[in-house]
Amino acid sequence: MTFFHFFNCAALTFGPHAIYYKATPLSEYDTLGTCIKAAIVYLVTTLVKLICQATFLQVSEHDDFDLGQELLKGLIGFLDVGGLYYALTQVSHRSISQDHKFQAVGLGWAFADALLHRLAPLWVGAKGLEFTWEHLLQGLESNANLVLTVSLAALGSLMWLRKNKPSALVPVIYTTAGVVAAMPSITNYLRKGLAWEFSNVVSFELLASLVMSFITWRLFCACQRPAQ
Amino acid sequence: MPHFACPADAVSRQCPNSQLDPLAIGNVCHSVRRMTVDSILLKVLRCGCRGFCGVGLQRLRGRLSGGVCHPVCTSSVVVLVRGEGAVMKGGRRQRAIGQAVVALMTVLMSMVVADAAAVVDVYRMIQYDLKGNPMGSRRAALNHHTVSGFDVQGADLSRAVVILPALKVNISSLDEFVQNKGLLGGLLLLLPQRSDETGGAEGDDSDEKVAKALAELEQWLVHNTFQYPVYFAYEDENLLKLLHEVAASDAAGRPASATNGGYKLVVSAPEAKKLTTPTITNIQGWLPGLRAEGDSLMLPTIAIVASYDTFGAAPALASGSDSNGSGVAMLLELARLFSRLYANPNTRGRYNLLFGLTSGSPYNYNGTSNWLRNFDQRLRESMEYALCLNSLGSSSDRMLLHVSKPPENAFIQQIFSEIESVAKDSDLTVELKHKKINISNSRVAWEHEQFSRQRITAVTLSHLEEPPELLQRTGGIADIRRSVNETVVLRNIKVVAESLARHIYGQQGKQVELFAAGSNLALNPSYVRSWLNLLGRTSRVAPFLGKNAPIINALHKELSQHTKDASLQHETLDSTFLFYDSTKAQLNVYQVASVTFDFIVALAVGSYLMLLFIVLFISTKGVKDFVGIFRKAPSRKYKST
Repeated sequence: MTFFHFFNCAALTFGPHAIYYKATPLSEYDTLGTCIKAAIVYLVTTLVKLICQATFLQVSEHDDFDLGQELLKGLIGFLDVGGLYYALTQVSHRSISQDHKFQAVGLGWAFADALLHRLAPLWVGAKGLEFTWEHLLQGLESNANLVLTVSLAALGSLMWLRKNKPSALVPVIYTTAGVVAAMPSITNYLRKGLAWEFSNVVSFELLASLVMSFITWRLFCACQRPAQ
Repeated sequence: MPHFACPADAVSRQCPNSQLDPLAIGNVCHSVRRMTVDSILLKVLRCGCRGFCGVGLQRLRGRLSGGVCHPVCTSSVVVLVRGEGAVMKGGRRQRAIGQAVVALMTVLMSMVVADAAAVVDVYRMIQYDLKGNPMGSRRAALNHHTVSGFDVQGADLSRAVVILPALKVNISSLDEFVQNKGLLGGLLLLLPQRSDETGGAEGDDSDEKVAKALAELEQWLVHNTFQYPVYFAYEDENLLKLLHEVAASDAAGRPASATNGGYKLVVSAPEAKKLTTPTITNIQGWLPGLRAEGDSLMLPTIAIVASYDTFGAAPALASGSDSNGSGVAMLLELARLFSRLYANPNTRGRYNLLFGLTSGSPYNYNGTSNWLRNFDQRLRESMEYALCLNSLGSSSDRMLLHVSKPPENAFIQQIFSEIESVAKDSDLTVELKHKKINISNSRVAWEHEQFSRQRITAVTLSHLEEPPELLQRTGGIADIRRSVNETVVLRNIKVVAESLARHIYGQQGKQVELFAAGSNLALNPSYVRSWLNLLGRTSRVAPFLGKNAPIINALHKELSQHTKDASLQHETLDSTFLFYDSTKAQLNVYQVASVTFDFIVALAVGSYLMLLFIVLFISTKGVKDFVGIFRKAPSRKYKST
């Protein structure tokens, strides 16, 4: 029944992306092209990130936490924001509203991420005889990641695309975006620096994604109002 | 069901010297699994980047081969080095690509192979045919859930592996199960922990009890047939924990099965194959005596014989220390002592000494009989007597001289009195025990009986009181190094050496001590100890040794150092015994989830996704549209004309 387990984990990992696309108006406005473009931008960004990491980071003999290295890694991680900026502003999108644009970009981004990071371990690990919770937790992590990415994309669209936003909210938007963008580094710190259990890290990620998405939603609504 | 085995065997193949804990390997596998595509790409890129700079490989290689033998990395270092050689001629770019590809392979391999939670070394029970009757365990491959006993409620034994600590086995109930041809998936017997202690001290009572129980179990096992795989493993923390958990879930009425989940044991071994023409190897050495001037007669010969091979329920664990590691160590020390005497023409005796290490002892001393058959006529006629050493290591102040000639025989009396007079000095009682040979019975209980059948006077020295049955006292699992007492072995060597010397130099009945401690002919305890240690950890079941086994070569080399014309004789084993290979394997322990659990997870995931769909749909498109999905699509109406 190991294939069954694999199927369960895969559904948990990739299902939300599909459902997000199907259930929201994204599917009605045919934003698939935007998603794919975002995914391609993600791939290129990841490649650039990896080249940077390979060039600047030291080869560590152990898996321990080294602050300098991790800071550098976090900095390199901010390249994601650059990639999102490019996907949101530079790539030409065929006549879709800004609301749908950031959702489509975030979705494509998160799906590419899930595909690249989770499919292979799932294929190899979840089909094995040995049962671990790890793959189910990874599925949950993928959900949190989707929420965070869409939030980041939403904040990005607020920062770069919306012109007439209340000036009082600007620093809040930037701080929130910074926190969301730094989330991978934070979880990395929890996992390696504080040696949290994987299940704890995942629950933290889920919680953080909910909080951040709520804040983002409030910010988005607040910026929406003056425009109306 | 796809499954990838952890390459622990690859490790043991590649680093035979390192003592790796198999469970530690399992843990390594576990951690390797966490690798993601990200880290793979990173490695590849890093390798590529460094390749351009020209320093990457050195680092990567250091990283790969560093630390203990990493299960995967060791194998790929070879690839890596080869890759380096292949791309040497190409430009830097090609080289970088080559390294990147190799690194990718490395990491991919590590991902594919890492799977099992734990890997344990297991030793398969012997499988052999005795006169065409199938004996022992007849299967090798194993893939079943675990159960902690035969009487677990609701367990399907035909699809389960029963784990039993060997000391808690109730042989009579197990026998009943086997005689009723009960179906079983497999049997895993846990042997008490192997201790590194190399003996020397008196074994206490508990040791003896353990050895006795194990010997009894082993006897029962080798004489029965099991239509399922039977494996042995040494108890350790992890296995005991596993057993404890299995027992707990069995007691709770949830024995491991496909529906309940639990632990699964997998040994992916091919079915055992027959060993074609198994060989047994006898080793002999010769110390020629000094012939007097003008003496044309051949000198009389005394043979000192010990069988070195073993037999046991698990061939890989049959490293008999007492039977007959003690005899072999004694023989080697005797050869060393007399070689020193014979090196000097002044002390060379008027006897030839023949040292024989024989094989095939569990099979009615098959090797001995072959060896004797190859004696040439002159040697056979010159033989005065043969002294066989058998099981002389365990603490006991009694030694028995087993003979097959009537004890009243004058020559036997002479040999006996020689030994007894020396033994008296070291508080050792020697008794004469007579057992007639029944020529019509093929069973040969003592090694000297093979000599007697060839009309050569022979005796066996042993602490065993009774002649062993077939395949009994042949150095199996119970016969561990700790059961042999070094001081006893040394004392016995002394007794035999002194009595032999008195016989050779015609000093019968006189109080001469040739091998006194402190003299330059003193016994060498460390020599004896090192041989006892080596023999006590080397399994020596003859059919599995082959012609070039390290232990045979070691014994041969040792004899050739002390004697002249040391030679090996390869013979084919008696065809009444047929053996099958596959004596060692790797056991993978998996914790598997139940089908029920999988269903629950599927249900949970399904309902979560459903809920997500509903929430997202309603929040973005409204309830109206949501209800609209469930309405029938308006069908086209045809107007009736």
